[in-house]
Amino acid sequence: MTTIRRFCCNDLLRFSSVNFDHLTETFNMSFYMTYMARWPDYFHAAVSPGDRVMGYIMGKVEGQGESWHGHVTAVSVASEFRRQKLAKKLMNLLEEISDKMDKAYFVDLFVRASNMPAIRMYEKLGYVVYRRVLRYYSGEEDGLDMRKALSQDVEKKSIIPLKRPITPDELEYD
Amino acid sequence: MASKFGLAGGIPERRVRPIWDAVDSRQYKAALKLCTALLAKHPTSPYVLALKGLILERMVKPDEALSVCLNAKELLYSDNIFHFDDLTLSTLQIVFQRLERLDLATSCYEYACTKYPNNLELMMGLFNCYVREYSYVKQQQTAIKMYKTVGEERFLLWAVCSIQLQVHFSSGGEKLLALAEALLKKHISSHSLHEPEALALYISILEQQSKYDAALEVLSGDLGSLMGREEDKLRLQGRLLAQACNCVAASEIYQKVLESCPDDWESFLHYLGCLLEHDLNLPKSRTSEHTSLFSVDSALAVKTSLSEELVESRLTSALSFVQKLQGNDTSDCVRGPHLANIEIERQRRLNGNPTDRNFFDALVNYFHRFGHLSCAASDVEKYLHMLSSDEITELLDTISRSYDASSLSVKVLGLEITTYKVQELLGIFFSKSTTELQCIAKGLVETFYKNLHLSRDLDPQESMHGEELLCMASSVLVQLFWRTRNLGYLLEAILVLEFGLTVRKYVWQYKIILVHLYSYLGALPLAHQWYVTLEVKNILLESASHHILPQMLSSPLLQETADLVKDYLKFMDDHLKESADLTCLAYRHRTYSKVIEFVRFKDRLQHSMQYLSVRSDSVVLSLKQKAESLEEVESVLDNVNHGTRLVELSNEENMKHFTFNEDTQARPWWTPITSVNFLSEPFDEGSTPACFRAKACEHKSTEKDDRKMKDAERKSLVPRLVYLSLHGSASSLRNTQPNGSGLDTAATEMKPLLEKYARSIGYSIDDALSVIFGMSSGKKFVKDFAPDIVSWMSFAVFINAWNLWSNESIIPRADQSRPSSWQTVDSLVKICIEEQLIDANRILTSPGNNIPVLVQMITEPISWHVLVIQSCVRAIAPQGKKKKKGGPSEQPNIPRLQAIQRSVQCIIDTLHSVQSWLSDQMGPEEKALDILLSYLQGTSEDGPGHITCILEENSARHNPELGGQIAQSLETWSTAGVIRRIVGAEHKMLVELKKICDSKLKLLGSVSSALSSVLH
Repeated sequence: MTTIRRFCCNDLLRFSSVNFDHLTETFNMSFYMTYMARWPDYFHAAVSPGDRVMGYIMGKVEGQGESWHGHVTAVSVASEFRRQKLAKKLMNLLEEISDKMDKAYFVDLFVRASNMPAIRMYEKLGYVVYRRVLRYYSGEEDGLDMRKALSQDVEKKSIIPLKRPITPDELEYD
Repeated sequence: MASKFGLAGGIPERRVRPIWDAVDSRQYKAALKLCTALLAKHPTSPYVLALKGLILERMVKPDEALSVCLNAKELLYSDNIFHFDDLTLSTLQIVFQRLERLDLATSCYEYACTKYPNNLELMMGLFNCYVREYSYVKQQQTAIKMYKTVGEERFLLWAVCSIQLQVHFSSGGEKLLALAEALLKKHISSHSLHEPEALALYISILEQQSKYDAALEVLSGDLGSLMGREEDKLRLQGRLLAQACNCVAASEIYQKVLESCPDDWESFLHYLGCLLEHDLNLPKSRTSEHTSLFSVDSALAVKTSLSEELVESRLTSALSFVQKLQGNDTSDCVRGPHLANIEIERQRRLNGNPTDRNFFDALVNYFHRFGHLSCAASDVEKYLHMLSSDEITELLDTISRSYDASSLSVKVLGLEITTYKVQELLGIFFSKSTTELQCIAKGLVETFYKNLHLSRDLDPQESMHGEELLCMASSVLVQLFWRTRNLGYLLEAILVLEFGLTVRKYVWQYKIILVHLYSYLGALPLAHQWYVTLEVKNILLESASHHILPQMLSSPLLQETADLVKDYLKFMDDHLKESADLTCLAYRHRTYSKVIEFVRFKDRLQHSMQYLSVRSDSVVLSLKQKAESLEEVESVLDNVNHGTRLVELSNEENMKHFTFNEDTQARPWWTPITSVNFLSEPFDEGSTPACFRAKACEHKSTEKDDRKMKDAERKSLVPRLVYLSLHGSASSLRNTQPNGSGLDTAATEMKPLLEKYARSIGYSIDDALSVIFGMSSGKKFVKDFAPDIVSWMSFAVFINAWNLWSNESIIPRADQSRPSSWQTVDSLVKICIEEQLIDANRILTSPGNNIPVLVQMITEPISWHVLVIQSCVRAIAPQGKKKKKGGPSEQPNIPRLQAIQRSVQCIIDTLHSVQSWLSDQMGPEEKALDILLSYLQGTSEDGPGHITCILEENSARHNPELGGQIAQSLETWSTAGVIRRIVGAEHKMLVELKKICDSKLKLLGSVSSALSSVLH
């Protein structure tokens, strides 16, 4: 049992069991608050019956024309609450909002090329590797740009993989 | 940046661009050069001056920056300025904000808005200035002006937000809500609303006035379609109906929510609460902040007014609804309806059938279905506590019989873990014998190892299956230590977790427990090392610093502590400064709910207990670090307004609003909050599991930590008391009679501070005085005042300093037999330190030892006292030519100097005894290693050592099933390696303390000879 609701500032003080995970970045305050201020519908927390933060998803919607899309900036679940498809629920919510509310064409996300467990999970959720971004993470590790087409993109044009990898400065958005 | 005519602030854009480029690439020198050249051409351009100010500020020349910007401001105010644009103003605003002169920025915009009354851009700039200053009334006025000028919805809502903030932050602002409502109504009637956030704000204004029906009407009308997601609309409707006491309709709405979101536990509780018509005092909505209307706990306390029969029939209908939801789920990962089943049965139990089996069966079913999940036990924790002891036994038995422990699979492992967890949660381990506990610990470690192969194909970054087993094993071993006081168990509690980290280096749960175990053991450097690997940063600094900071603050690791403190304060200060900018952003993006949330959150952080506490700690720490140099101490104090600001912060009004933001969830059971450590108390064999459980829960539930508040209050006084002590003591020596109005004012100020100080320890000043005189004369036992002994010593030091120069004597002069205040300090220092040194036990083998107390005594009261002495000595020391001119009025006070000389000698002797005690403690490393390892020999059936053996054997055994990665990491395991690191860490603590003593002794040596030369 999970209550999924908008993420709020107070959650920042209670999400340490999620963020202590070494693969989950703790961003600076203006980062979280900018997301809350600009894309409040893309930032959700899942809380347990004891009102503990089980996990959260943080994202945004941006782009123009056919590249108007939802973006997953971070999704993370505390270890105690893993293996019960919570990340999937959170991803589905963001996809639904991108699709129905904002009429976006696709949802995308970046993942470390070495993070196989995450890549496998996204693949299960219907994401495909759209392109590789060379040295995306701190100029060292490559990132994979993964995408999932939404109902606006009837022909699924947005997810046709690029043939060659790109460099971070070729990225359209931050 | 460029205006529409290619001009920026009246200057051609092409001339300005290179300057901004240089600023953006941090080439400030180059930027300044370009700017100076431009200024030569446009000497009266406010924009170019503002730019120069900006560059100077970046070059950390705040005074010059301010003066240039003030110049620009003046030019703006003069009538002959042609270009008066937002770019100039916003540039000035940036600089003034960074210089922490928001008032100047505001007055610039205020002036501009008067000059160009209908300029929207300028008004928005002014509005933002008020947001940064948290001036809600002026915000409201400006927003209304903008609304009147252009009639846009957003400006009206800015005004409404400003009203809500006024209502929230001041008392009696409720009338304003009616104004907000009227404004919105009028606007809606002519223009309607167009944003979901605007609708939410409108509803919340109605809700705050308890106009639930009106709110419902709005929601069900045309405006309701603004809500993006149907579930959100339904939830809001449900809440409003519940508040309007329309329980039947509310429960129907919540039922709809559950049909589309069956896992939504909060909605289920609302549903059930409405169904049973619980007389609930619903909290008022606060725009977006999450409030829980019902919780399992609160539901316990409330009684329904319905008859038993009606309750039963409603529960039956709820049950069939929930069962339908269960049937709809094919994925088997929606736990909500199954937990709901338990809750319904619990209500049935409460409704008059305490022996009803259904509740028990519902729990059993839950475990059958979800028992393999990590969170299974904690999901139902609250319900487990309702079981009788027979039921608990039966439950455990049923779960254990539900799987075959010999078959190894992730699911079976999960169930096994849950069985242990249930026992842990219920405190059952507390009722076991030590022999049984040893078996349990062994079993846990063996189960971990046995199942390790299940993780062979996992990515090394993924968490292992069965990770929790080692946490539980460690916890059982800590309990064994608590009960037997056998150090071996504590060492094994550490070894188990270190072993786990050898297999997987990222398990943060292990690291946190190790931080606490090493801290308790006295191997703080290791605790610090593990803490650093947790990469605690940004907001985690506020919620997670409590794991290490308190221990560090009473350690001799001054530099490492200073770094932690610095990072924390930087984060908090920066956030408090930038927070308003983010509120401006929320206004700009029309996310009104977040506007209010951001302001409230800033308020929460600003009133953080930890923030106040660390601000004092930071100053006290600098004083400790610089204590050997009076000049440096003075400069530290100069930089913090001589401690006055800290004193103001701890006034009673502020103390009332303090917030506690620490996330204590991950702390080990034996230290639920920073000020409590069960291991320092004796274990009570007679206690029942329930007692222990209650004890652990008690601390978690009390939000406010009183002891911590008192400590923080006391700490906030220290810098000021030190300052006043130094200030007075120096002057007092020049004359036999203290006089001079400056001194009197200082003395007058010191008394209430000392009273406050005494009060924070729980005493009136008179009683406190009798305590220190009693202790120093041996009439009172130091032990009886142990928890606050360091504060008592500091109190005596401050009293002595005050007594030196105050006209008002606190020691009755008539009583000649009473020792002087110098003697009081001397003997108190001597007695207190000796008391710490009596314990002949080796620090190495005494966890929870007195090193922290000793460190505090030496770095705090003794440091303050030595500073007072230094200040006195400086006052009488020859000061070159000045001395010669001094004349007879600067004749030193000989009896007082003799008292100082005796005090110096006393401190020297005391520190020498600490030194020799420390030297005794520091044996050769190999010997220390042997001593600790001997605790792990495991010669008898009983006693520690068995776990160590299991770990050693398993790591040595080559098990091909484990896969290369795990097998390889196991090869590096070494018990002796861990123990050696512990020895090294404890040794480091002693060395650091010795260094502190060394430097104090060196200083005191020179003070002593300076005094001798004056006296002889």
